[in-house]
Amino acid sequence: MGRETLEKLDAIRRGELSAVENVQRALERIKKQDKRIKAFIELNPNALAEAEAIDRMLKRGERVGKLAGLAIGVKSNLNVTGLRATCASRTLEDYVSTYDAEVVKRVRAEGGIVVGMNNMDEFACGSSGETSAFSPTDNPAAPGHIPGGSSSGGGASIAAGLCDLCLGTDTGGSIRNPASHCGVVGVKPTYGLVPRQGLIDLGMSLDQIGPIAPDVQGAALLLETIAGKTPNECVMLDVERVSYMSRLEGDGAKGMRIGISPKFAELTDPAVMGIIDGAVEKLRELGAEVVEVELPNLERGLPAYYLIVSVEFFSATRKFDGRKYGKRIEEVCGEEVLRRILRGRYISRKEYRGKYYQRALQVRTLIRQELMRALERVDVIVGPTVPKLPHKIGEKISVSAMYAYDYLTVPANLAGICGGVIKAGDVSGIPVGLQIQGKVLGELDVLKVMRALEAAA
Amino acid sequence: MKVKIGFEIHLQLATERKMYCDCPTNYQDVHPNTNVCPICTGMPGSKPLSPNERVVDAAIEIAFMLGCEVITDQTVYIQRKHYDYPDLPSGYQRTSLPIALGGELQGVRIREVHLEEDPGQYDPVAGTVDYNRSGVPLVEVVTEPDIRSPEEARSFLRTLTRVLEYTGKVRPEAGGAMRADVNISLEGGGRVEVKNINSVRGAYRALKFEILRQREKLKRGEVVVRETRAYLESQMITVSMRGKELEEDYRYIPDPDIFPLILDKARVETVKKQMVEAPHLREQRLVKQYRISPAAAGVIVSERELADLFEAVAKEVDPKLAATWFQTKLKKVLNYMKLRAADIKFTPNQLARLLQMVGRKRVTPEQGELVLRELVKEPAEPEELLRKLGLAPLERAELEAAVAKTLKENPKAVEDYLKGRKEALNFLAGKVMKLTRGRADPRRISKLLRAKLRGKGKRRKISRRKARSRVSRA
Ligand SMILES: [Zn+2]
Repeated sequence: MGRETLEKLDAIRRGELSAVENVQRALERIKKQDKRIKAFIELNPNALAEAEAIDRMLKRGERVGKLAGLAIGVKSNLNVTGLRATCASRTLEDYVSTYDAEVVKRVRAEGGIVVGMNNMDEFACGSSGETSAFSPTDNPAAPGHIPGGSSSGGGASIAAGLCDLCLGTDTGGSIRNPASHCGVVGVKPTYGLVPRQGLIDLGMSLDQIGPIAPDVQGAALLLETIAGKTPNECVMLDVERVSYMSRLEGDGAKGMRIGISPKFAELTDPAVMGIIDGAVEKLRELGAEVVEVELPNLERGLPAYYLIVSVEFFSATRKFDGRKYGKRIEEVCGEEVLRRILRGRYISRKEYRGKYYQRALQVRTLIRQELMRALERVDVIVGPTVPKLPHKIGEKISVSAMYAYDYLTVPANLAGICGGVIKAGDVSGIPVGLQIQGKVLGELDVLKVMRALEAAA
Repeated sequence: MKVKIGFEIHLQLATERKMYCDCPTNYQDVHPNTNVCPICTGMPGSKPLSPNERVVDAAIEIAFMLGCEVITDQTVYIQRKHYDYPDLPSGYQRTSLPIALGGELQGVRIREVHLEEDPGQYDPVAGTVDYNRSGVPLVEVVTEPDIRSPEEARSFLRTLTRVLEYTGKVRPEAGGAMRADVNISLEGGGRVEVKNINSVRGAYRALKFEILRQREKLKRGEVVVRETRAYLESQMITVSMRGKELEEDYRYIPDPDIFPLILDKARVETVKKQMVEAPHLREQRLVKQYRISPAAAGVIVSERELADLFEAVAKEVDPKLAATWFQTKLKKVLNYMKLRAADIKFTPNQLARLLQMVGRKRVTPEQGELVLRELVKEPAEPEELLRKLGLAPLERAELEAAVAKTLKENPKAVEDYLKGRKEALNFLAGKVMKLTRGRADPRRISKLLRAKLRGKGKRRKISRRKARSRVSRA
């Protein structure tokens, strides 16, 4: 299990499958299935030409990058030269990128071929994939249900096999949530590991770009490609490059200390929790030591998160004033985007800053300390990703019910730690993902636990 | 009525690159929107680079110039100040918390110094924005309300500009332009802030107008409300800014995309060691160290290069002589030629040798000035210039020969002088000057002439006596 990505790369390198064939097939699948799924907003008209260039290099025996010939989907909040970075919003529906985001540069340098721009929740404000201004995205793993968000198009693309790997972004769970609902692999890296240059902001102190993949090795490979500092960005960790691939297998989960918290069961639907408990049991069988850790303030993260993200989002959207991009964001955006802008505008007012924003920052510090303390005792913390199963597309749920999807994912963003998701099972055919949270720069441990579960499945 | 005036002054820092990107800062020299990139135009997804180190160092230097204490080893957040204006590509301006506090200049306390970035330039008539200026670094200096009159304000602003330009770290703006907000209050009235001031003269006029306006109101028993007003340059008046601008709340947040500044002590010390001395402090030091007059010191420190030259020269010659020459002659020559001290091409050594000659009276001050002019025009060794100008100092023998020749050829004048007609001496001196082609010091000529004439007079008396005795013996 889980050899799909590497096997395809080998086939391309050996000439058994050409890059053109691979991209062609991806484009055909998209053409056939995406009218229904709506995982893409726009396709790259140069994709085949780029694939041809890779094939030419291979034919000449030249060295190709580690993603050579793979079809990559890119979330629509990332800049790709010549394609539209719409953020799935009317605000930017005509905005064509003039430059490549740093991660896109790195993917291209390793031979990855951008096939198109993935659908998403508008400006990444959502957990369902329904708030895209263009169309909601379906969940290929559980048709008729939401795929989760905000990297809805990425999760759905991988679940349906529309492309090989996707670049998603995660501010409060936007990679992990769709990975869980769609039954695929997703990783939110440690804050500051992956450059954000070229990512259109939601919450700058929380945003992180990461991989969505059909298997752990695919996720690890894409993460290796995009991680590491650049002199062109200020707020980054001092990490040159990372390498995971050679160290993924080893002893698997054997001897690893794995933390669980009773808090998870309190916040989670019993049906979902049942699957999670099964996965923990599996890890124990694989030789992991399971330890209980205290996370008493975990649920306080959610309200703090929504205050912080709203203030940062308000600031980030001031440039969409209608002058440069034609449309003023407040005049054309959807409900959830407007709600966050107005909330941000309100609580960043001089007289409320202390009451809301400062207090939220204090809670953030509290959550960070709590998770750091827990992670001193264990290598990773495992638990559910989303507390409940995805609802049906179009089903009306309250704002607070929508926000409640994020209870278990926002703490990692608030703390700046990493987290990965892998399918643990399903409830009546609807996938349930296990979340593995790791230390700052603990990606290797997270990937190893995920790989151990994947290999044992 | 007691008046209190304080300033917030913005000055552009003269770095080559912008504050958060690598674009050049020479925005006036290039076509609109050519010094731009995704960062300084706020393209979606762009992220700032780390703050330009040179900008930070320049601000530290300026803070020291103003006698401030730099905040070291503490986090100094760079904040986003949100407001909506066409020249602001991201809808916020980045502004740091104070990097230094508590200075003083010309009796005015400096409250703080912090960093900002310039917005672009909006042309409301054409409806266009030029982002070349966007992201150019600014330093903002905030004073306490210690100024008492428009005249004091003007003098303070002039000194401030001089001090800051002295560092070479601020961009001298054309025609003495500067951007400032001023707050002014009269005893018994509210504090009024006046924005939109673009020159020292503008500040002076705005203050004159405000004092008049506020005083009249208070005299009539009306209330001077606390408000923000705008200065209208063309009409030389201030008008109330109503509505939106007044309710403005900038919703400051620390910029999540930039690490806060931490100025470590070692770095700050390095800047301090390498920085130039503030002119007002240097002036005081020159007076003390070289025992020169404050007036001369004031002239000498008016330009950094002039003061540097002075100190180099003062090592070689009497500082008082040098100071007099700098204050009167050198400054005069430079002004006449419309040159700045920075344009000087001669070496301190060349000037020192000239002054030595003056000191030893080998050349006259008048000749010295001629040489100085030549030195500024086409630098060379002073001796060479003297020769070139035909002013090579006379050997004593040559002068004596000229004097002797003159006396011999002008017996009538000699006779007149000896008879007591002193003006004959001037005639003779003129003849000597002519013979020596002006190379001799007139004072020296007169002295020598007088000595020789005295000798002649004595000899004549003796010979007369001898003649008489001869007659009597006969
Ligand atoms: Zn720039």
